[in-house]
Amino acid sequence: MSWKNIKLVFLREVRDQLRDRRTLFMITVLPVLLYPMLGLGIVEMMLTFSEQQRVVVILNADDLPTAPSLLDENGIRKDWFEGGDADTSKLRVLAERTTSSTGTESQAPRKLRRGEKSDAELLASAHQLKEKVDELRRLNREIARPQETNAQADGSRPEPAGLARKELIAATQLEISRQFGASCFQVLIIVPKGYGQAMETMQLEIRKGSAAHSSEEIATLVPQLLVIRNSADDKSMVAFGRVQHALQSWEDGVRQYSFEQASLPLELQHPSRLAWVEVAREEQVAASVWSKLFPALLVIMTLTGAFYPAIDLGAGEKERGTMETLLISPAKRVELVLGKFATIMLFSCATAILNLMSMGLTGQQMAAVMGEGLNNSVSLDFPGFAPLMWLVILLLPLSALFSALCLALATFAKSTKEGQYYLTPLLMVVMGLTMFCLSPAVEMTPLYSVIPVVNVALLLKGLLLSATNTENLVVYAIPVLVSSIGYSVLALWWAIELYNSEDVLFREAEKFDIRMWFRQMLRTKDAVPAFPEAVFCFIMILMLQFVAMTYMKPDLNITDPGRAMMRLIVVQQLTMVACPAVFMGVLLTTSLRATFRLRRPTFLAMAFGIGLAFLAHPLTVELSQFLVEHQVFPELPESARQVMTLMKTGDRPVWLLLMVFAVTPAICEELAFRGFILSGLARGGRLAIAVGISSLMFGIIHMIPQQAFNAALLGLVLGLLAIYSRSLFPAMAFHFFNNAIALLHAGEKGRFVADGVFFSRDLEGSLRYEAPLIILCAVAGILIIIHMIKVVMKEQDAKRRGLIPAFQENPEPSAQ
Amino acid sequence: MIRVQGLFKEFDDPRNGMFRALDDVSFEVRPGEIYGLLGPNGAGKTTCLRILSTVLRPTRGLAEVDGINVVRDPEGVRSRIGFMSCNTGIYDRMTACEMVEYYGRLYGIPEGKLQSRIDEIFDMLQMNDIRDRLGGKMSTGMKQKVSIARTIVHDPPVIIFDEPTSGLDVLVARAVLKAVSALRDQGKCIIFSTHIMREVEKLCDRIAIIHRGKILAEGTLPELADKYQQPDVEELFFELIQRREDEVAGEK
Repeated sequence: MSWKNIKLVFLREVRDQLRDRRTLFMITVLPVLLYPMLGLGIVEMMLTFSEQQRVVVILNADDLPTAPSLLDENGIRKDWFEGGDADTSKLRVLAERTTSSTGTESQAPRKLRRGEKSDAELLASAHQLKEKVDELRRLNREIARPQETNAQADGSRPEPAGLARKELIAATQLEISRQFGASCFQVLIIVPKGYGQAMETMQLEIRKGSAAHSSEEIATLVPQLLVIRNSADDKSMVAFGRVQHALQSWEDGVRQYSFEQASLPLELQHPSRLAWVEVAREEQVAASVWSKLFPALLVIMTLTGAFYPAIDLGAGEKERGTMETLLISPAKRVELVLGKFATIMLFSCATAILNLMSMGLTGQQMAAVMGEGLNNSVSLDFPGFAPLMWLVILLLPLSALFSALCLALATFAKSTKEGQYYLTPLLMVVMGLTMFCLSPAVEMTPLYSVIPVVNVALLLKGLLLSATNTENLVVYAIPVLVSSIGYSVLALWWAIELYNSEDVLFREAEKFDIRMWFRQMLRTKDAVPAFPEAVFCFIMILMLQFVAMTYMKPDLNITDPGRAMMRLIVVQQLTMVACPAVFMGVLLTTSLRATFRLRRPTFLAMAFGIGLAFLAHPLTVELSQFLVEHQVFPELPESARQVMTLMKTGDRPVWLLLMVFAVTPAICEELAFRGFILSGLARGGRLAIAVGISSLMFGIIHMIPQQAFNAALLGLVLGLLAIYSRSLFPAMAFHFFNNAIALLHAGEKGRFVADGVFFSRDLEGSLRYEAPLIILCAVAGILIIIHMIKVVMKEQDAKRRGLIPAFQENPEPSAQ
Repeated sequence: MIRVQGLFKEFDDPRNGMFRALDDVSFEVRPGEIYGLLGPNGAGKTTCLRILSTVLRPTRGLAEVDGINVVRDPEGVRSRIGFMSCNTGIYDRMTACEMVEYYGRLYGIPEGKLQSRIDEIFDMLQMNDIRDRLGGKMSTGMKQKVSIARTIVHDPPVIIFDEPTSGLDVLVARAVLKAVSALRDQGKCIIFSTHIMREVEKLCDRIAIIHRGKILAEGTLPELADKYQQPDVEELFFELIQRREDEVAGEK
């Protein structure tokens, strides 16, 4: 590999991109001009924006208590508002008074704006509404009474009159909301007759010390103050919010007055004496805005920054017919890919940094311009230096991953248009992951630290949140960086692979006809399935699994839910795992025997299968214990544990448990995963990749993280066994024994003697394995695995040298 | 210089299973001669030349350029050949000079030598007036000139032309052919594929007629005329192809 060539390719591509108007627009024009202009626009909008006045009508305002009074001549007294004058001006309060000493009528009539109604009109519609409301309240009271008698007349149907009344109520409600909508006020307050007097009487009673009043007595004494609003209407809700606040503080005032009158201590108002202490410093409050925004923006900007250059450098090169020119240069494919990769990464990083900087500076500028206008709790100041450094450090692996992925997908595409189609799903998946990370409840865990994109976003979120977090989070920096770099290397390797693939580089743009394709697929069958068919089979199983999830819950109402669950599991295994595979095998291949590896295995292979199951068991048990103890994986979800215990309680015969949990999965899952899927994946001759992908798929369908992890690991062994033996039976044997041992290990607690050297017991009494046994098992297992890999590699080598025809799955003459 | 022996190339065709693009192809090309590959579209010419340029890998068989195996040392082969086809376009956002310079550097020409070599080529192909013009703003003829300049910038002993005149007007095609024969006179070993009889007659020292992946006849034009008793190349070509078609039909 020559750095000179990589540099040459890199410099050419960068120059090429810089000469491209589209790229320049995306990278410089957009962030440098768009955000400041947007910011300016928002500032302008907010300056021209003034909240419209909302109308509040108070009927019968004369009957409001005067000590303290809610209203003054301008409407609601500004003391009751939090914002003082600012809030007063936002409400137009129309109080109906009969004694017009200081009422609104005495003032010169207000000049009405267009669309506004005069006070008289408003009052008229308010009165109409009040009548309807009174009627509704009367109806409601009436219907409440006969219901009580009905309840005693056990089960008798409501009288027809009751039904009619219900309809009447519904009609009245409809009428009220219609009238309310048509009226030009947003909140209507109805003061009942004699409200103020009743309140005074009550205060007098309290003063007298006759505190024997129960809440019911007070209820009959003081009528209710009605506040009518429409919670579906934003305008009404805004007005109501202000009115509510004013009413509450007014109520406090009334209470305070009553206490004073009764010479009670004012502290009684706040018996619990709560006090809040704010510990967040100002920059931390500011940080929390950035900590939410920056990681998400970083992820999305990094991806969009990689998106367009990648399409141009990958698919664009093909489309413009310069791909072959490049391929015949003496530069190696690796050098070409690395040069292009570096270019994309540069643009991805530049886009992200420029965008974030421009956004940050715009935010700061906006905050400075708006000043007081902004809510003080939201500051848009830039985060400090250390978090910014983290931002840059984490940006690199993230952009490396996106650049490599985008390059690979774009290389796979035949044209730039196709490239956009391939990259859009990537964008959507990344958006989804980012949304997930935005949730405040999601925090960094060991598991998340190795999930691509999520790990970087969460780490950054935590680091930006507060400096105190840094110490806790720094331990995650290593796994995040290592795994991110690992994923980028994988993606890069994939891109290089694509550059070495003739099919991908010289793909002809064929017209795709689905009917023709389907017919062709059925007509040109081979002994084993093709790669896409295997992938399709997996997707089908996954989808079925997803659909079935709703039905896989135990029904706790039946007598033996565990038994029903077991039946469900067997049915699910048969119909949703085995059936799709077998069905596709029959439909799409010519040899079921080759596809499902239905060959007699050698004795040795069988022995390996069974032996490995025993050797692997202590390792998996201890490994999953270790991972749970170190909180890499969460504990089993409650529902899953419940299902487990349900099925194992109740005297179930061992054979039944074995049938359900060992025999059925061993047959069904092996038919699907080591049968159809692995045969299809391994067809191209890349066995290691085939085994890897098939075990990943095997892991994915196990859903629960720790089971998925276990299954993926065991899937590697199972895949190797199947390839090595060319038969499905050793894998089935391994699978059966693996599940059976796990079942018995969990079930039969007391049988084994814990000698302390090889076996021990933990606090809960389950059998644990000690280090000597684990090492023994690991060594033996690894030896067998190495032996199998060696045999397989030797055969591969022979195949490659043409000793065994490459396109025949089955090299033994006897078996053909 | 070029040695091809028993070359097979099979493609995985999603429609018809396996497609054999090259079927036991063998030939040799010596320095200072132009070897013509004559065949209809889809005969396997491009596949064969792509294998020689190491862009494709052969399924079986041997292909050597200047004694170097195309499978074992593809980079070595690539540095010794110049390859030009209708698929080897030039970059839109690069000037003629930058384009040739870029490839010169990729071929590892030392910086001092590169500039004089570029001047030499630009003089030879009379393209000094388009030196600083962007690829996207060039006419087809100009682009073709840049392509030729790119092909020979590293002075390769072997040059492969895959239908270099396809889609060109008469004037440009003539200029291209002139350049090719000038290169032969410099002692280069040249393979030239085409489906145009006139070009073969004018240019090629020896030809091979190829159809459906098989070489049907090979030799100098007089040799072929002698052997098949057909002095007209065009007639000879149709005759051979018809015979091959009949054979294929008979096999089925």
